Amino acid sequence: MLSQIFPNKNFIYGILGLTSFFIFWQIIGHFQLAGLSLPSLTDVLNFLFDPERHALFIRAIGATFQSAVMGFLAGALVGIFLASSVQILPILKNGSDRFAAVINSVPSIALGPIFLILIDREATPAGVASIHVFFIVYVSMSSGLSSASREHEDLFTIFGASRIKQFWSLNLPYSAPAIVSGLRLSWPAALIGAIIGEWFGAARGIGILIINAMQNFQINLLWSAVLLAAMMSLLFFGLMTFFERLTYQRFR
Amino acid sequence: MENKIHKNRIISFINLNWGIILILILWEFWVVVNDFNPIVMPSPEGVLLDLIQNPIIYIENSAVTFSIAVVGLFGGMLIGTTLAIMTWFSPLLSGLINPTAVLLSSVPVVSLIPIIARILGYNMATEIILVVIITFFPSFVFTTAGLRALPPGSQDLFTSLGASRISTLKKLALPAAFPNLAIALRLAAAHAILAAMIAEFLMGTNGLGYLFAVTKQEFLTERAFGTSVIATVISVIAFLASSHFENNVKKRFT
Amino acid sequence: MSKVSILIENVTKSFSIKGNKEEVVAVEGITLSVMQSEFVALLGPSGCGKSTILRLISSLETPTEGTVNINGQLPRSMVSKHSLGVAFQDHALLPWLSVWDNIALPLDLANRPIDTNLVNSLVDLVGLRGFEKARPKQLSGGMRQRVSIARALILSPEVLLLDEPFGALDAVTRRLMNIELQRIWTLQQITTVLVTHSVEEAVFLADRIFVLSVRPGKIIREVLIPFDRPRDQLIMRSDEFHHIVDELTEALDSTE
Repeated sequence: MLSQIFPNKNFIYGILGLTSFFIFWQIIGHFQLAGLSLPSLTDVLNFLFDPERHALFIRAIGATFQSAVMGFLAGALVGIFLASSVQILPILKNGSDRFAAVINSVPSIALGPIFLILIDREATPAGVASIHVFFIVYVSMSSGLSSASREHEDLFTIFGASRIKQFWSLNLPYSAPAIVSGLRLSWPAALIGAIIGEWFGAARGIGILIINAMQNFQINLLWSAVLLAAMMSLLFFGLMTFFERLTYQRFR
Repeated sequence: MENKIHKNRIISFINLNWGIILILILWEFWVVVNDFNPIVMPSPEGVLLDLIQNPIIYIENSAVTFSIAVVGLFGGMLIGTTLAIMTWFSPLLSGLINPTAVLLSSVPVVSLIPIIARILGYNMATEIILVVIITFFPSFVFTTAGLRALPPGSQDLFTSLGASRISTLKKLALPAAFPNLAIALRLAAAHAILAAMIAEFLMGTNGLGYLFAVTKQEFLTERAFGTSVIATVISVIAFLASSHFENNVKKRFT
Repeated sequence: MSKVSILIENVTKSFSIKGNKEEVVAVEGITLSVMQSEFVALLGPSGCGKSTILRLISSLETPTEGTVNINGQLPRSMVSKHSLGVAFQDHALLPWLSVWDNIALPLDLANRPIDTNLVNSLVDLVGLRGFEKARPKQLSGGMRQRVSIARALILSPEVLLLDEPFGALDAVTRRLMNIELQRIWTLQQITTVLVTHSVEEAVFLADRIFVLSVRPGKIIREVLIPFDRPRDQLIMRSDEFHHIVDELTEALDSTE
């Protein structure tokens, strides 16, 4: 009967591990074992959920979320477009791969000033976010598009299908799971990009909270901002995993 | 004959780098058309000139950033791999650690930088530790997966041959995990350099990140761009080198 | 009188599958014995549990009921003495090792010194001279199985277990491999259990054949093969051979 309540040993271990982690944190923070910079979990949670600060945090989340989503969409669209173009015109492949790798290698902090000049101050976080999203989606989709087996491609060729037709009817459906996978993986990058982008003059956002808290030694604010970022990450991660399972079932 | 070889080389260079060439052309065009003050937006040749005329500053700071990245990368991969091996031995440990590790990995790394800097101090050791933290996770995840990606039937083979657990680790699981480890290295290498720079940018000690912050502040924009260019070049080289390594490992171990 | 090597008494093996409330009975009430130096084949359609029986003998599974003994000991103790040789359908060659190293692997795992001459003689035995340094991905399916068989023999095992070793090969290669295996086996005459769904293969190679029914697997027929050893491939054309094959095929069909 016990095995019905606790179906999975791993599940128990997992809960155990997480709980121990939180208890550990609480103890270290409460007794200031790691100095002033590590507050107890309860202190941070109190600060985070203080009704007086609701507005502040909601505004911050809203701003960062908006930037991250815009960057996410922009980067994903460009990535999808480029990967599709390469599939239809294979001669582009080498240069395209190299281009994407180089763009991705530009340090995010260097992207800030560049986007400040190209677009405006408010859109910079989205811009920085879009770069890494672009790379991840491009690589994932490229990989997915080329995953149709040789036999399938030969079949389409024999039927006289053009490369474009083959792209829509064969490569694209095959790549659906990989695209969703790539989208899922790129959300954390979008979030980080947005946060870094905010350091270059945005009005509000989690990145701003972090910089302010850091410069003004507001420890609880700093930790709250970190928790907010983590929650945004996890929430989206959960949503995308669900989405991914759906696509795998439909397309394979 | 020689001309033909030359022509082929030029063609394959363009085939590979047209994207970058395009960016450079657009950049030059953008600067010329808008007639930007170099303080606002430098031209490609302005940046190149600064790079050539001031090699020492660039080299010194690059060396710092590079060392931090490399040491941190090595440490992170070592810890990640060791932990993965430990969880391979002990399902209990594996169950305990995994959810917590996933939770911790969802925290955007950049937000951890100020916290850890506060706790451990604003110095190079902290920067290295930050790189370790960033590179730890990919190597842990990929090694864990790799240790379990055994050739079909090989675990049964080892069991029926009476192999000890340690033998199975050394002779089966670890070699099976190498290709995955190489992938982790490729991912972690890119992150390591980025992390080192961001840490330096925020904590202001030295290195390319610090140089970038300072020159940006002092409106030495050409130098700031030069820093970015150098950092990009280092990252690309690291990416190419680790991709090459990864391909070799794949050939050798699969 | 030959000694009994493998003794399986009244063995039943059931598995509980995740999601199913009931258990799946793979094999039921199996009783059979294999004499020393005897070559026995387990013949049956897919899903009849013949691989399960092999896994019980090799200690990879334990019986739900009944006992399995090899030379009077439990399979697990044979394993810890490194006395078993196995070749499964997944050849399970390690892709990062050369042919030579793959064959020598069991010695390494048993902490025995690597006898170079022994490894070389096995390379010769399976006809792979010249391919010692090749890696599995460079070999054809038939060659990989030869490596697998050489590896199974390197510990001079007391018992040899073969689970559809030629299942993944085409018919032509399979026939050649059967002839090869017969030749190799005749030299050492190790107690062997072969699992297969190919009737011709079983009749050509074995001294005795057990036919199993579909799940739950039970022994429904035992046939003695009268051919002398060493066996020539010509016997596959003889009337007697065809007769036995027909008899067994009929027995197999009746299991549907």
